[in-house]
Parts: sequence; structure tokens; C-alpha cells
Amino acid sequence: MTDFLPVTLDATSYILILVLVALGLMIVFGMMGVINMAHGELFMIGAYVMVTTQTAGLPFVAGIVLAPIIVGLLGLIIEMALIRHIYHRPLDTILATWGLSIALKQIIVLVFGPESHSVIIPVEGSITIGGFSYPLYRLLLMGVSAGLIAGTYWIFMKTGFGLMARAVIARPGTAATLGINTRRMYRWSFVIGTALAGLAGALVAPLISVDPQMGLGYLVPGFLSILVGGAGPLAGVLVGGAVIGGVNNLLAVWISPVAALITVYIIAILIIRLKPEGLLGTRREK
Amino acid sequence: MLDIEKLTAGYRDAMVLRDLSCHLDGGRVTALMGRNGMGKTTLLKTIMGLIRPRSGRITFAGQSIESLPTYQVSRAGIGYVPQGREIFDSLTVHDNLRLSLLGHGLQGLERLQKIYEWFPLLKERETQKAGSFSGGQQQILAIARALIPGPQFLLLDEPTEGIQPNIIHDIGLQLARIAKETGLGILIVEQNVDMVRTLADHVMFMENGLIRESCDIDRLKDDDSLLHRYLSI
Repeated sequence: MTDFLPVTLDATSYILILVLVALGLMIVFGMMGVINMAHGELFMIGAYVMVTTQTAGLPFVAGIVLAPIIVGLLGLIIEMALIRHIYHRPLDTILATWGLSIALKQIIVLVFGPESHSVIIPVEGSITIGGFSYPLYRLLLMGVSAGLIAGTYWIFMKTGFGLMARAVIARPGTAATLGINTRRMYRWSFVIGTALAGLAGALVAPLISVDPQMGLGYLVPGFLSILVGGAGPLAGVLVGGAVIGGVNNLLAVWISPVAALITVYIIAILIIRLKPEGLLGTRREK
Repeated sequence: MLDIEKLTAGYRDAMVLRDLSCHLDGGRVTALMGRNGMGKTTLLKTIMGLIRPRSGRITFAGQSIESLPTYQVSRAGIGYVPQGREIFDSLTVHDNLRLSLLGHGLQGLERLQKIYEWFPLLKERETQKAGSFSGGQQQILAIARALIPGPQFLLLDEPTEGIQPNIIHDIGLQLARIAKETGLGILIVEQNVDMVRTLADHVMFMENGLIRESCDIDRLKDDDSLLHRYLSI
């Protein structure tokens, strides 16, 4: 237990990144009933934007700015060409976005090849805390992730856009009778969700190997976080991410990665059985 | 102001409205009465664009609205109070009202003051969650929410359903006052005869998806035969 602090920091870092990925998923699922199986690939494309900007000799910040813009624009095209035709049809969205995820992966393989790429860490060095050193970039990433999560929370809980978004989530028909353009709300929420995925991919890229399969590693725990926390309030994703990310990360270190995964799935199954709407989830208003 | 010509609409293959035609004047309160399942709610939902008509035409203030999406019908000047109120339980009173202003792109401080003047209860409880309100208070909020952007016409679907009789009377009087003060046209679907007598100028009776008969309210004050025929009371 002498390594408690670094393990806790690693778990916190993983939880924050997971929540960032799951936030985009939750916005899209909670608002439109769209189960976006291509969310992991949008995360992956964000990482590839970072690879490309670094290869082109551009500074790290350029990748951070370009990733959400490019992935957000891709999200806009996907929404206009595909998603808007299948809103609130969960089975259809699973099939359509699963097909999209395969297509996006193959495009990346064609353009960048199947091999993995790496991104140079922009901030070298480490900070000494309580007798051990911890990488500075990981700490920065935790701060940025926490800030982005807080920013997303602020947009959805404190702004007029967020108020309309919450109304559309609860009662789309009623919201429309109040003059709210629900289709426009769906579109921009989808773009925000995908841009967040792209940004998360770019931020994580220096810490992992960037390859066409990397999306799946975050998609599954992202969905599990929503399942456990609940798709309604944003706080649900935080709780879900903390449970899934925390258990997964801590047990992987203390026992084994297999035991961690088994525990995570047992927790998910128990919550589906005992509280199908998730720990903080609410049923949609009728 | 609101003209409906040969309107046919319903759910999937089951047509509820069949070639329905009627004309509703601005600045007048019209009650729509009829037994359950005759198509009253379907008519209101079709006007609002919540149900797409199979055929026919709906014209509001000279503008054809039958193919507009719901939010554009609302922005064209038609307010809607749905059956069951459908307020946002988890939002405060103020946020429920603000939603309607945001939807219409209005800042609306003056509109908000006017609403609070008409319904002082909402001012007193503006920070309270709407879900904690009684049925009557929720109905007042639903009406206020529809009125805040300043519509020219208001559709109300059974506003007295499940509400205490004393509150029903107050709501009726207040709506009549607002209609007179603002020139608001109202189409109210209602089964409560006292409410209709308090509020309406004109009554239409609906049966099997058609307007079968209409009359001025004075006739209902002296003669119950239409109520017997179309409402079985």
C-alpha cells in the first residue's frame, strides 16, 4: 500500500479521461436515443489528427485545437447524412453506427496503415510528490480533463442552450411546442459530443499507442460508465466513470487485469438488474 | 384567423379526422366539445404540427401552416397547452417560463413581468421546482408558459382535467380576462360545462372526426339538448 498515491493518481487520470469520452456518448444517447457505436472511432480520429499535426511539425496546441474542430465537422456530416434519419430508433442506430465505425477504421488503415503510431509528450519532466515522481503531462491532462468536464456541465446546466437541451431530452414534443427547434438542438448536441471525443483522443494520444483499434478500448468502458451512472443527469456519468474506471484501474494493479474486468462486468450486471436506470439516472418524463 | 379546410389526419392507417373544416376568429373563445375519442385532441395536435395531416389545409393569419414543423407553428403565433399539462417537473417555475422565451428568441423581461402580474402565484414561487406544484398550480404554469411569448391564438386541451372545482373557476375567469385584454383567440377542448359557460363565446360539437354543429354560448345557457346529444349529459 506504499504505492497508494501513484496508483490513485493513475486511477484518477483514467477516470477523468473515461468521463470525458463517456460525456460525448451520454449527450448523444441521453438526448437523441442514439447509441453511437462509432464514438470510439471518433476518439481514434482525434488521436490521428494529433499524429498528423505533429508529423507536419505543428505545435501540440495546434493538434488540441484542430482535433475537436475536425472531428466535430465530421460529426456534423455524420449527423446530416446518417443520424438524423434514425433518431430515437436505438436498434437502427446501433447497426448504422457500427457500420460507420468499420468504415472509419478502414479509412484510417488505408490512409495511415495498420501499424501503430506514437505522439511525443509535449511536456517532459515530472513532479515529486510525497517522495515519488509523477509525470507532469499526466497531471496536466487531469487538470484539463476536469476543466472540460466542468465546462460541459456548465454549458448543460447553466446556459440557455443547456436548458433547452434538457427540455428536449425530457419531452421533445413539448419542447417543440414552445418554439424550440429540436432538430437543431439534436444536431449541435451531436457535434458537441463528437468534438469532445476528438479532443479526448488528441489529449490521450501522447500516453498510448495510436492505432486503428484503439477506440474500442475506451468505447466499452464508456458505455459501461453510462450504464452504471445513468443516462439522465451529467453527474451520473461522473459517478459511473468513477465506479468503472476506479474499479478497473485499482483492481488491475492490486489483483490482476482479469480480476478487474470480471469485477467491472459483475458490477454492471448487478446495477442493470437492481437499478436499470443507473445509479443517478431518471426515467424519461412521460 | 385560423382556417381549416377538408382536414384528414390520424395515426398510421387509422384516420381520426375526416375532411374536417372550420373557421376560428381571432379575439374569440371557442369551445370544442364532444365525447372521448371523437378527435378533439387529434385536431389540436394536427394544428400544432405534432401529427402530420394526410390531406387538407390549415391557414393561420394568411399563412399555410399544415406542413410546418411544430416549432415554426409555435413561432407563427400559436400557443399550446397540452392535455396532462406536460410541464418540466425537474425545472423551476422560472426555467419553465424561460424555456418558452428562449424557444422564441426573446429576452422577455417585460413578458415575464406581465405573466407574474396575471399569475402572482408564479412570482411567489418562481424558484420552486414545478414538480412540487399541485395539479391546478401546474395547469396555471402550463398556461403561463404558453402565453409568455405573446401568441395570437391559444389551443388548450382539457385544462380542467383532474383539477379542484374552485381553481377551475379561477382559471376560467383569468383566461377570459386575458383574452379580452389582449385580443387573444382561444380554442379550448373541454368537457366541463361550467368552464365552457364561464369562458367561451362560441361552441363547436365534434363527432366521429367532424364538426357536426356549432352555436353561440347563449344557446347553451338556455338549452341543454346539444349537450345531451353530443356529450350524453
